[in-house]
Order: sequence, then C-alpha cells, then structure tokens
Amino acid sequence: MRRKSPPAFACWFLESVIPVPYREAMLGDLIEEYTLRAESASSLAASRWFWGQACRSVPSMVWSALRSRDWLISISTAIGVYIVMRMLEFAADSTISRLVAPRPMTYVVLAPVVFLTITSIGGWVAARIRRGATIFLALIVMITVTVAIYMKVCTIPVPWWYEFGFLTLGPLSVLLTPAVFGVPKANC
Amino acid sequence: MLALARLDGSAHGMIVRREIEDRTGRNISIGAVYATLDRLEAKGYVSSFTGEPTPERGGRAKRLFRVEAAGKRALQVSEQTIRNMTAGLKSRWEGI
Repeated sequence: MRRKSPPAFACWFLESVIPVPYREAMLGDLIEEYTLRAESASSLAASRWFWGQACRSVPSMVWSALRSRDWLISISTAIGVYIVMRMLEFAADSTISRLVAPRPMTYVVLAPVVFLTITSIGGWVAARIRRGATIFLALIVMITVTVAIYMKVCTIPVPWWYEFGFLTLGPLSVLLTPAVFGVPKANC
Repeated sequence: MLALARLDGSAHGMIVRREIEDRTGRNISIGAVYATLDRLEAKGYVSSFTGEPTPERGGRAKRLFRVEAAGKRALQVSEQTIRNMTAGLKSRWEGI
C-alpha cells in the first residue's frame, strides 16, 4: 500500500523556515505524526493538522532563526542571487532592444515574460543554495517592485493590474518555482 | 523541561508535544517545542543526540533529548520557589 504523504508545499514551506540544526528532526516528527493521523483518521484531517502545525510553528522558527543569526547567511544569499537576477534582466532587456524595434508595446509584452522567467530561475537557484533564502528573495523582489511602482520607473502608461501583476506574481514565482520544480529533499 | 523530565530516559520533540498536550490540554506547535528545547540545550539543561533515520519519518533521523543534571537542579529550584510562593494561598482561593 502506498504511504500517505503530507502536503508537499507545506513541507517545502517548513524546510524554508526551520533553522538548520533541527530541520531534519522536526520535519521527521511532523511526517511521523501525519502518517499516524492519516491512518487512524482521514488524509484530509491529517493534512489540516499538518498545515496547522506548519503555520503555528512559523513565529517560533523565525524567532529562533533570528536568535541564531542563521538569517544573516540566508539574507546574504538572497541579496547575491538578486544582484545576479538584475544583471540577467538588464542583459535580456538590452538584447531584446537590439533584436526588436524598441516600440513601447513590444516592451510592455516582453517585460513581464523576462521578469517572471528570471524571478522563477532566481527562486530555484536561491532554494538550491540555501532553502531559507527564498523567503528573503521574495521579500526583496516585492520591495523593489513596490519602490519601482511608487517612483514610476515605467514611463509607458499601463493599467493598474499590469503593475499589480509584477507585485504579486514576482514574489510568488520566487516562492513557488522551487516547490513545483523540486529542489532536493523538498519531497516528504 | 517538566514534560521531558516526566518521560523517562530520552524523548523526541513530538513525544514532548504530546505529553504537554495530554497534561495541560493545550494544543501547542511543534515549532514552539523545538525552539524551547534548543534554548534549554544552549543553557546546558538538556542534551540531545541523533537517532537512526526511519522510513515512517521520510528517512529523517530523530533528535532525542534528555534532561541533564543542571536541568534537574533548575527544576528543583523552580519547584521549591513555586511551592514557597503559593504556600497558604489555597485557603484564600477557596473563598473566591
């Protein structure tokens, strides 16, 4: 009989926030308890319990990570990945400008494609280097997009949902790509 | 630490969580248990060692904790302090 697995995204999320010293032990405990609950009750109830534990553990884990200075390494990784992402984006924008005529509509269509591709790759790379870095990378992306919108960096008139798309889909692509495309040990 | 002391020998985080839940009726998160055990270990009150990985745990090893002598002393001091501070209060509470 196939063993029941806890929600993959919850596992990945926990792996991102649990400090390294007790990541393996804590996730193992949760998976063991989940399996027992899924066998004695239902998978749905066990999943609800698992998500409840994951969400309620976040404040303790974040506080613990802050105390252990674990976050400094994660934030440094996130900044490093972000710098490389910006360089890649700049190179891609320059190439597109050379290849196609620099018409505003072309740019409006291609900019989100380039942005989301690069944020997705960035999220995946950050997760491979250090799992906790993806949360910080998503935050950096969110802050920089907010600043860019506020300072009206984009001179081409665009609807509000276009900018809102950057603000929401950018951080989401950073967070979801490692979960969807898999990073070693993300599976439970 | 009391929950860990109640469990003879050594115990891992989820057992400690269950013990607290059974004794107090409070549903606490596993994250809070590990964060507390980590702090207690830094103070030298508890120690931990890694167990064998098992398939039920997705191939992840257990981290087993046990109370050290310094922890037992700290518990005794706390228990004595609570006993001293609550002495004579029971009769007053009965009237409330």
